[in-house]
Amino acid sequence: MAEIPLVAAVREERGSRSSRRLLHAGHVPAVVYGHGVEPVAVSVNARALRGALTSEAGVNALLDLDVAGAHHLVIARELQRHPVRQTLSHVDFQVVSRDEVVSAEVAVNLTGEPLGVTRAGGTVEHLVLSVQVKAKPADIPTHLDVDVAALEIGDSLQLGDIALPSGVSIDADLETAVVVAHPPRGESAEPASAPAEAAAES
Amino acid sequence: MLMPRKVKHRKQHRGRLTGAAKGGQTVDFGDYGIQALEPGWITARQIEAARIAMTRYVRRGGKVWIRVFPDKPVTEKPAETRMGSGKGNPERWVAVVRPGRILFELAGVDEQLARGAMERAIQKLPIKARFVVRAGVGSEPEVQVQ
Repeated sequence: MAEIPLVAAVREERGSRSSRRLLHAGHVPAVVYGHGVEPVAVSVNARALRGALTSEAGVNALLDLDVAGAHHLVIARELQRHPVRQTLSHVDFQVVSRDEVVSAEVAVNLTGEPLGVTRAGGTVEHLVLSVQVKAKPADIPTHLDVDVAALEIGDSLQLGDIALPSGVSIDADLETAVVVAHPPRGESAEPASAPAEAAAES
Repeated sequence: MLMPRKVKHRKQHRGRLTGAAKGGQTVDFGDYGIQALEPGWITARQIEAARIAMTRYVRRGGKVWIRVFPDKPVTEKPAETRMGSGKGNPERWVAVVRPGRILFELAGVDEQLARGAMERAIQKLPIKARFVVRAGVGSEPEVQVQ
């Protein structure tokens, strides 16, 4: 994966007032840190940043950040947004090395139509929307797909069931349920077990 | 209707509705949500009316989450009462909502049905609100800048 070039300017002024001025001028305040680099407050062009983070590589894209002539290999770590407008108000850039494994948050998407569940009137609940993965910066996937086409009512899929690309591992409990297929409202998942229990009690 | 089981103080000050929501700004449980665009008080009756409007439109399937709770008591003095003699009696419960807050979430239905249900629910609310889709549902997460 080729890194995306991005130019950053060093910020001399700090605080909310100067940050607001930067945002009005079409720039996003940011900070660069990590991998032994002294933290530097910077600002990047909002339009260029949007282009960099909406590429095929997604928000975990590898960026070649040019800070006053010094080039850093970074990934966007923390994106702060305006609650209504959803515009970026601050970005953390973490300096990474190509050979070192880093952790990143990746979206978990559902694929396929769970006909066995929907035809019976049940619902598929998507419990885990994103997951922390560990991989080298160039190997971080844009998203992980979970195929729910074969799901039946009462079934569930765990993190361990997700097919991972090579070089990627999940940094979480693999028994965590990702998707659960619920029966229609007012019904239990195993209606046949109730008479059996009643017979056992008598 | 939603209301607290017990409270530490029966009557509260009104407070100020400034700024944006501090939390609960993203769709965290379902696939679709209703996001407040204005500040306001939403009563327990309005929350219930919106929930009923949504579930009736969806008919079967689907799961609804209510992301706000009416935990603020609102007092009223009886009609034709002279001023004074202390604060009125608690009459209803409201949720304090600031812009950006996700009020309801919905999952298990397609986007068209969710949009229809949530537009009907928005009609029951006293503030401007909009239908939002969780980032990553149906499309790649998109970063919006300015």
